[in-house]
This record gives sequence, C-alpha cells and structure tokens, in this order.
Amino acid sequence: MSFSRFFRDRLPAVCIYTAVFLLAMVFMQASGSDIHGTIIVGIIFIAGGAAILSWDYLRRCDFYKRAFKAIEIADQKYLVSEMVPEPEFADGEAVYQLLAEACRDMYEKVAEQKRISTEFREYIELWVHEIKLPVSGLLLMCHNDGEAGERYAAQIRRIDDYIENVLFYARSENAEKDYIIKEVCLQKVFGSVAMKNMETLHERGVSIVTEGLDTDVMTDSKWLEYILGQLLSNSMKYFRPDCEPEISVKAEVLPDRTELRFRDNGAGISASDLPYIFEKSFTGENGRDSSHSTGMGLFIVRSLCDRLGHSISADSEKGSFTEIKITFGKDTHLQIDCG
Amino acid sequence: MSRILLIEDDIPIRQELSELLRNAGYEAVYITDFTAPLPEILSAQADLILLDINLPGINGEQILREIRRSSETPVIMVTSRTSELDEVLSMSYGADDYITKPYNPTILLLRISAVLKRSRDTVTNTTYRGLTVDIAKGSLTGQKGELILTKNEMLIFRTLLEKQGGIVSRDELMTTLWDNAEYINDNALTVNISRLRTKLADFGCENAIETRKKQGYILL
Repeated sequence: MSFSRFFRDRLPAVCIYTAVFLLAMVFMQASGSDIHGTIIVGIIFIAGGAAILSWDYLRRCDFYKRAFKAIEIADQKYLVSEMVPEPEFADGEAVYQLLAEACRDMYEKVAEQKRISTEFREYIELWVHEIKLPVSGLLLMCHNDGEAGERYAAQIRRIDDYIENVLFYARSENAEKDYIIKEVCLQKVFGSVAMKNMETLHERGVSIVTEGLDTDVMTDSKWLEYILGQLLSNSMKYFRPDCEPEISVKAEVLPDRTELRFRDNGAGISASDLPYIFEKSFTGENGRDSSHSTGMGLFIVRSLCDRLGHSISADSEKGSFTEIKITFGKDTHLQIDCG
Repeated sequence: MSRILLIEDDIPIRQELSELLRNAGYEAVYITDFTAPLPEILSAQADLILLDINLPGINGEQILREIRRSSETPVIMVTSRTSELDEVLSMSYGADDYITKPYNPTILLLRISAVLKRSRDTVTNTTYRGLTVDIAKGSLTGQKGELILTKNEMLIFRTLLEKQGGIVSRDELMTTLWDNAEYINDNALTVNISRLRTKLADFGCENAIETRKKQGYILL
C-alpha cells in the first residue's frame, strides 16, 4: 500500500478537514484575532492533521507489509492468517477475521481432501494385496496343471501387470513418502524384472544384452523394478516385425552419478512425439497404431523417478531405436543399514 | 526329503503350494491355527519355513522375530506386499529370502532349493563319475586332467548334477540361468547343452546327458 494510494483513499476526509480548517481560519480572522495567533493555531492544526494521517498510514502499512511478506514466503499461502499478528485497527480486524475464517475453511477442505485421497490410496493398496491372493492361487494352479495351464498363466500375468499399474499410479500420486532409498544392485533389480517376463521374452524371441549392471545405485528397489518392468513392456509392445528384437540394458558409473540406458531396436518414436511421451494420457503415433495404449505407463514412470530424485530422458529415432536414460545421483548420506 | 512348513492362511494357495512342493519332491506341512503358532511351528521340525506376512490377527514379521529367538530354521517370506519397507524389515529380522506374490512357481522352487542348500553348508566340491567338480572354479578334474566349463555350462551341469538321475525341465534350466543373470534364449540353451555334452564326451563321459522328449534332460 503506497502513501499516494492511501492519501487518495483519505481524500474526502482531507478535503473536509481542510474546509473546516479554512472556515475556522476565516472565522478567527473575522472575529478580530491577532494574525500571529491565527498563524500559530493554523500551523498546529496542519501539523496535527498530518500527524493523524501519517500515524493512520503507518500502522496500516505495517500490517499489510507483514501480510504481503508472509504470503510471499509462505509455502502454503492459505495459512497466511496464522503468520501475521492480528491488527489493532477496526477495518484491519474485520479483514483479519475474514481472512482467518476463509483460511480455516480452506485448511479444513484441504485436510479433508488429503484424508480422502489417503484413504483411497490405502484402500487401493489393500485391494491390490487382496486381489494378488487369487492371482497367486491361479498361477499356482496353472503351474500344477502342467502344459495346459501355461495358456491361462499368460493371461493371468497380464492381469497382474495391470494391477501393478494401479498400485504404482496410486503411489506416484501420493504426497507421503512410502519408499525407502537404499543401496540397490542394478543386476538384482533387472534380474527380477527379466525373470518376471521370461516367458513373454522367450515367446517373442527377444535377446537381452546387459552391461555394467553389477553396480549399486541409491533407489527403492521395488519402485525401480516397476519402472524397468514398464520400460520392458513398452519395448515389447513396439517391436518391428522385420528385425530380431533386442533389448540392451547398460549402466555406466560416472564420478557424480550412474546412468542406466535401456535401449531397444523397436519401432522408435517420431521426433514430434518424443518431447511428450512422459505426459499424462499421451499416446502419440505408436499408441494410435495399437489399441493397447493408455498413455499412463511412462507418465507413472516419470512421476516415480521424480519422487525418487532420478532424472529420466528419452532418445529415439523412428524405425530404428528407443533409448530411455535414467540417472541416479550419488548421495551416500541416505544409506540405510539393512543387515 | 526336506520338510517345508507353510504358514499361509489363504486355503487355495496353501493347497496349491503343497501340491507344487510335493511334486517337486518336498514334504509339505502346514499349520491352520494362527493364534499362538510358535509351539506348533517349532515342533514341526521343518527344514524351511514359507511365511506369509498378512495373517489373521498376527503379522508374519512378528512370527519371524519369535522364530528367530529360538531357531535358525531358514525362513522365506512370501507376501503380496510390494514395499521396500516390508522387505527391509523382514530381512533385518532374519529372513533368508523375500518373495512377492504372485510369484513364478519355478522361481519359488529355485529360491527354496537355494536357501536349503545354503543352510546345509553345502560343499562346493562334489564328484561326478569319479571326477571332482569344483563349482566355484567351474571345472571338472580327473585323471585326464582338468575340463574347464563356461559359466553357462557349469550352471546347467550343476543343476543337472543336483538332480542326478531325475528329469530337469528346460524351464528349470532356463530359470536357473536367468537367475544368474545369463539371459539366454531357447536356441542358446540347446546350443549350450549340446556343447556341454560334447565336452563331457571328449573328457570320457559318454552319454552323460540324456534328452527326454517334451520333458527335459537327465544326467546319468
């Protein structure tokens, strides 16, 4: 609040005061007062008026300055009423009360929504664990039935993949920290992903090349497993029919980071689509060509990477290859001793 | 025959798991009362315990801690909870392995046999037809000298040797190889087996590996 704005606001009052003051002066002169006396009274009134105006301005200015400052630095701006002292002037009090009321309501709404979304996520987690029981039962039955069961097992594994998507979508959208970052061996993580997809990889005749995976990175192994699983299933969706499918997974340890490159020799992504592949619900040319794309996979992957603090980028050439690069930082102070 | 104790409350899974284990040559026992399971668990005298985390009224991690107070029996945690926290907790309470549901049954069997082997302080050196097998070194030693096998060949040979005289399916061999970060395909497996056969034959072990159509291989 600038003084000029404040002064304009007080202009009617100032005008009335000036008019009254001038009238008083004229009256004093007319009633035959001494000119010096009139001038002294005049100065006193002008000084008094200026003092009232400045005092009024300063105390308001102080409150609003603090309020603006508070809102500027606040992380959650709707908590601003908690951060400024209650003003001691009438209109300020009214504004403060309104603000406090609005903030409290906002806070309650936010808390309510947080609670709802947490409960929803918890239910999803619970539901995922529940549905995994019959899925496990079915897979065991298929295995026990021998060759005949394998046909069903493939479909059940698809169901399991979709269930994982829901679980990790819920996790990626959740503000709470439900991951643990510790030293994880890339070989172990990629190993379980490869194992999980062994049947499908064999069926498609995919060759797998790995290099340098025998190294540790700081991450959550379960999350990384899901991320690599997504990349693998993406690669398998878009292989070219005219060449031998190959997936190569290579890690390179650099002084300040470790880079993991997940590359396939599949259909690739056109240059116009490439910048958007990590966006929510983006399907692009490849997605339109096949009906099985929801545009969620890579979006979830990026969200998970963001949460874990890994950076992720993609490089591709249409009809030639796609390479996804995940960069792991080296922050050793996060180590957890897990016996 | 190793005895495996199942602590699992989901009845269909328990049944199928028992069948899976019995088919794989293990003795499967299970408990049905989870209110105070410890005495029953200990009296089962199992060689290995498969322990679920979500049990009615009790947490598997809690049971694991109680087991560890009085017993060193190997425990594999089996759970549908895919969170790092559960795994870290379980391992710190003394679990020997941690597998998430739904698991690939072949992998589960592989892990079970790996944990059992570890708990029995297996000697890395065994013998085959009078040859000394050094698994760590990847070699067979006999009167003719030393036969060096590649990593893949050794993995195949070891798997066959463990079940000598019994059928080992291609799936089992493949799973073992993949579990050891050798991501070979079907053709490569065939090539590896025939190379192993030739190597063994050249070393004086004729007809060591027999093929059973549609079933697998037997090391004679």
